[in-house]
Amino acid sequence: MPTVSSRGDAMRGLAVFISDIRNCKSKEAESKRINKELANIRSKFKGDKTLDGYSKKKYVCKLLFIFLLGHDIDFGHMEAVNLLSSNKYTEKQIGYLFISVLVSSNSDLMKLIIQNIKNDISSPKPVHVNLALHCIANIGSVEMSEAFGQEVPKLLVSAHASASVKQSAALCLLRLIRTLPEAMTYAEWASRVIHLLNDQHMWLTAATSLIHTLSQLSPGDYKGCVSLAVSRLSRIVTSTYTDLQDYTYYFVPAPWLSVKLLRLLQCYPVPEEPAVRGRLVECLETILNKCQEPPKSKKVQHSNSKNAVLFEAINLIIHIDSEPNLLVRACNQLGQFLQHRETNLRYLALESMCLLAGSEFSADAVKKHRETVINALKTERDVSVRQRAVDLLYAMCDKTNSEEIVAEMLAYLKKADYAIREEMVLKVAILSEKYASDYTWYVDTILKLIRVAGDYVSEEVWHRVIQIVINRDDAQGYAAKTVFENLQAPACHENMVKVGGYILGEFGNLIAGDERSSPLVQFNLLHSKFHLCTPSTRALLLSTYIKFINLFPEIKPTIQNVLQNNNQLRNADVELQQRALEYSQLSSITSQDVLATVLEEMPPFPERESSILAKLKKKKPASVQVSLVGCFMCKDHATMSVLLNHIPVWVSLTPYLSPTFASVQVNYYIISTNASSNYTIVLFQQCLYMDAFDDVLTLPADLGESPSTESTEHANRPFMFKNSGVLFENALIQVGVKCEFKEQYGRVGLFFGNKTGNQLQNFAAAVSLGPEHQGKINVATQKEPPSQIDGGAQVQHFINLECISMFSGSPNLQLRYQHSSAPQQVTLKLPVIINKFMEGVDMNSGDFFSRWKQLGQPTQETQKIFQARHPIDTEAARTKLTGFGMCALTNVDPNPENLVGSGIIKTKTSQIGCLLRLEPNKQAKMYRLTVRSSVGEAAALICSMLEEHF
Amino acid sequence: MIGGLFLYNHKGEVLISRIYRDDIGRNACDAFRVNVIHARQHVRSPVTNIARTSFFHTKRGNIWLCAVTKQNVNAVMVFEFLMKMIDVMQSYFGKINEENIKNNFVLIYELLDEVLDFGYPQKTDTGILKTFITQQGIKTQTKEETTQITSQVTGQIGWRREGIKYRRNELFLDVLESVNLLMSPQGQVLSAHVAGRVVMKSFLSGMPECKFGMNDKLVLDKGNKTNDELSKNSGGKPSIAIDDCTFHQCVKLSKFESERSISFIPADGEFELMRYRTTKDISLPFRVIPLVRDIARSKMEVKVVLKSNFKPTLLAQKIEIRIPTPLNTSGVQVLCMKGKAKYKASENAIVWKMKRMAGMKESQISAEIELLPTAEKKKWSRPPISMNFEVPFAPSGLKVRYLKVFEPKLNYNDHDVIKWVRYIGKSGLYETRC
Repeated sequence: MPTVSSRGDAMRGLAVFISDIRNCKSKEAESKRINKELANIRSKFKGDKTLDGYSKKKYVCKLLFIFLLGHDIDFGHMEAVNLLSSNKYTEKQIGYLFISVLVSSNSDLMKLIIQNIKNDISSPKPVHVNLALHCIANIGSVEMSEAFGQEVPKLLVSAHASASVKQSAALCLLRLIRTLPEAMTYAEWASRVIHLLNDQHMWLTAATSLIHTLSQLSPGDYKGCVSLAVSRLSRIVTSTYTDLQDYTYYFVPAPWLSVKLLRLLQCYPVPEEPAVRGRLVECLETILNKCQEPPKSKKVQHSNSKNAVLFEAINLIIHIDSEPNLLVRACNQLGQFLQHRETNLRYLALESMCLLAGSEFSADAVKKHRETVINALKTERDVSVRQRAVDLLYAMCDKTNSEEIVAEMLAYLKKADYAIREEMVLKVAILSEKYASDYTWYVDTILKLIRVAGDYVSEEVWHRVIQIVINRDDAQGYAAKTVFENLQAPACHENMVKVGGYILGEFGNLIAGDERSSPLVQFNLLHSKFHLCTPSTRALLLSTYIKFINLFPEIKPTIQNVLQNNNQLRNADVELQQRALEYSQLSSITSQDVLATVLEEMPPFPERESSILAKLKKKKPASVQVSLVGCFMCKDHATMSVLLNHIPVWVSLTPYLSPTFASVQVNYYIISTNASSNYTIVLFQQCLYMDAFDDVLTLPADLGESPSTESTEHANRPFMFKNSGVLFENALIQVGVKCEFKEQYGRVGLFFGNKTGNQLQNFAAAVSLGPEHQGKINVATQKEPPSQIDGGAQVQHFINLECISMFSGSPNLQLRYQHSSAPQQVTLKLPVIINKFMEGVDMNSGDFFSRWKQLGQPTQETQKIFQARHPIDTEAARTKLTGFGMCALTNVDPNPENLVGSGIIKTKTSQIGCLLRLEPNKQAKMYRLTVRSSVGEAAALICSMLEEHF
Repeated sequence: MIGGLFLYNHKGEVLISRIYRDDIGRNACDAFRVNVIHARQHVRSPVTNIARTSFFHTKRGNIWLCAVTKQNVNAVMVFEFLMKMIDVMQSYFGKINEENIKNNFVLIYELLDEVLDFGYPQKTDTGILKTFITQQGIKTQTKEETTQITSQVTGQIGWRREGIKYRRNELFLDVLESVNLLMSPQGQVLSAHVAGRVVMKSFLSGMPECKFGMNDKLVLDKGNKTNDELSKNSGGKPSIAIDDCTFHQCVKLSKFESERSISFIPADGEFELMRYRTTKDISLPFRVIPLVRDIARSKMEVKVVLKSNFKPTLLAQKIEIRIPTPLNTSGVQVLCMKGKAKYKASENAIVWKMKRMAGMKESQISAEIELLPTAEKKKWSRPPISMNFEVPFAPSGLKVRYLKVFEPKLNYNDHDVIKWVRYIGKSGLYETRC
């Protein structure tokens, strides 16, 4: 590199400017000075003046300095680009510096810059080539990758390029590959690049980085590098070779290169050839051996570089995972580090040991260090090290040592750092569940966990306890007794109250025999906590109380008093109010038998992966919850199927409903009909089940059919005969609809009215075509609704439709919006049904019957005989038929009671003629409906659609 | 209930720290320094809440003044107090800067002991404070003096001591106003208001009772209703509508409420009698007419006409017009008929100065600005043209109608008092968009 600071290059102006800035007393003074300088530079850069290279460089330098101080620079780019074409190294250097710092990748000047770089890359002077390469790497844009993706590799493998150019080229290429991996073709120069590993020079550290990245991108092409890397590594490590001796750093031969090679080897599986493999093992052994040797220097650099190589070697050993000998040795080595003075070493040792604990060969070796790790947990001053210790304890835990490790972790939890508490709680919960041989121990542990770190116990953890207690008959009595004892503490955590409430509600009877825990005592104990809890816990406790009524009829009056208290009945929280009201009604109206059925003990949960484990793994919890509800449904299917006989079919869908919605139904039924109390029971049990798992509230969106869809399915029926009305309505939003149809075209106007006082945000309405409608209907949105609806406002949304071919059902409309930041989703059925595209055809008797006979094939006819749902009235039926879209023909059928209609369904691809005969039997109150159509499916569809309406 | 008071220099070093209540710890001053003075983003709110502690701050020059409290105090009261504190310090040792504060260390602590007691503001009147906190050495006070101070501090009229005697009874009244304006390029007034102060300097003997009258619309209208004859007399005189006003503590507010008359026993020496604000019928002393044209991509022309809009007999002074230039200006040629104009690169503006200008005159400046093409085509935000001036009248139209002095005990009356009235109108933010 040429010497930079010759006399003429000193740039005194720049030095003066910088010292001026540094001497500024205040920010204002500084910005004044900068403004002045900028004005000066601007006047110098004015178009009509020509500057010599030196002053151009000086001003560009000043601009750079000002930019680095945090001011915007929006001129001088052209001058910087001009500097590139200078022959002087320093001018070029400043030009490149300015460009790589300041020029954005989408600047207009880029073409000019690329041209300049191209000139420099082909320059005979290596320093110029280097500058150009650095600039390419610094900008590293897609444009650069495209322009130089082919040039740079040539330099890398060229015969006459110097080592420093090659080094720059390797790093530059690395950067370009990272920017745009697909622009590079690897295979063609793979073999030549691999052989760079044999090069004599130290720049191959850079090459190794490049090969590492390349081999990650296309492992197949670079497979050959493994044996080369092993041989290179062995040449470095085994001291007999004098190769690379110049690069020894504090008595460690080429540490950076060794680390990179070891990393490279981790990209590939263990080499197959015994020779290579042997050599690799030998290398790793040597590295491990070297660590046993006394240090050659007391300098920290020596031990650092030695350890860097060692840890990378251990990583490789873990990666290989088939050399028991090496694994155990590595583990022992790490064990020594566990007691090392250096905190960083202890941290690294713990981290690597976590990985070793996962390997079958070294797991036992790791376990030997349990005492040390536990000690580290207690004495380490650095929280991150303690965190690693916790991880390691978790990793090394098994059946034999679980009790001790869990006990240690629980003890540590009390003084653990806040940041890691939640994770520790999860880990303790998982370990105690996974290795629980004795469930009393498990219950004890979790309750202790709640006591020690209640705030950090997440929902999943206490849900899990309940699941396990319910599934284990042997643990129930003990659990009830223990929670009862725990609840007696003067101050106990809310999670404890939740668990206690749930377990006592289920199994309180198991300990009721004892004087000290008689029903009344249990109830009073729980109720003493009631007022200190949040609404969700109170809701759960209310469910416990109703369960108590079933378990202990003797305290029924006491509990009813509590339920009927104004504090509950007039609570500001709707959920509490509702529960209190419903439960008190339930307990007073229904008989003991019904109560017993409703409030039966919870059936066991199906075994499945623990939800807390899922949480730790950061999986989506939704799926677990879905299965949770799924299991609720199955397990009490028996009860339900008995009861369902009396209940309208659609009620069977209620398990999907959110508790609140279900409760609304319950309410309705309790008030309206006592007769159908069976139905109440089913719903009711659902409510109770859902109590424990409030998360279910989020469910409907995940399930296939949401409540709102169901309700509109029915609301949709009237739309078969009419074209406008209210499609959907809830507390937040009202959806009105108005449609027009002509031939195969339709236009649906939707009116969304916000019923609340607040704005609905992120509003979106989209028509979604299911697979059954794809290609059969074309939908185009004519006017998008705005994304917000102000309180009380109404917005419109128009959809144009075209019917391509026949379809059944109707397309869905998905509504999404946010109300007070809670996202809501509703799926509605659009009132677009096939009969909308039908047009009536008037014809006389002769025409009708001749066509009727033409369509005589059995596939073209559908006939149904069914009970009349409405009183038989010809006129009403006629109106319905007209509303349906058919032309009701008069004086066609010889029997005036019979109803005859005809119509054509017009789609884009075809026209389907339909004929219909409806013959009533007044005595039997039956109808016979015959539909004939040129397309058999249409006949069946129309028949099934109309059947329910006569 | 101010818990503590801190003064910092611009680096955030604590110069003065005085804690009045136990709920404020020593670490509170660090919290403020870290979260406000050394904050990454400039903190614009004057009230900052850090860990349930409220910090009220204001800055004078390079000095930060910060009051701290844990209670829910009246923020306006705290700021009023801080302003008063600044006034007091200024009247004791002049400009507030780091050096002065360091030199008057003991004095400031003495003052802080007096103005706040357990966090409750006490006497903040300079004149009174000066009677017992002096900058001179300690004089042993006689018993009479101490009783006098005690009776005065605890008495009804805390701002004036008894037994003042002057050979010449004299008073000075200054009406100081600052006009704020934002005008569109077409000459439409977007916002305008006048913030004014009436400052009185009195050298009166005894305990005189004064009555101050001005052309307040409400007072005059009230007069009209009660007395028809008066209305004929005052009908010709313009009256002004005052939007809001505040008074010195010596003004009897009950009398103002009932009769809207301003009567008071003045403090001795200089004090601010009242502060007011008006927004209607403001006579704008100057009109700036800008004309900005882009000639070419790299050239623009600015022409500014300045019209003075007041009585030709009056003279405006210290006129300065600041015309902002684009950030990519590479050169400016200025041409002006009157005064001096210069392109100041460090401020990115052309500054045009005139010593004085008579009323109903017109003057003009034109400038040619050369621009440098920039890499990004960022639009110049065109900041408004601002100006500074001083005029010898009150732009709000306020007139002092009378100031009567009654001293029943001593033998001088209203006619013997020499009264001086002066009006000064200054520019506040006086801006015209271009």
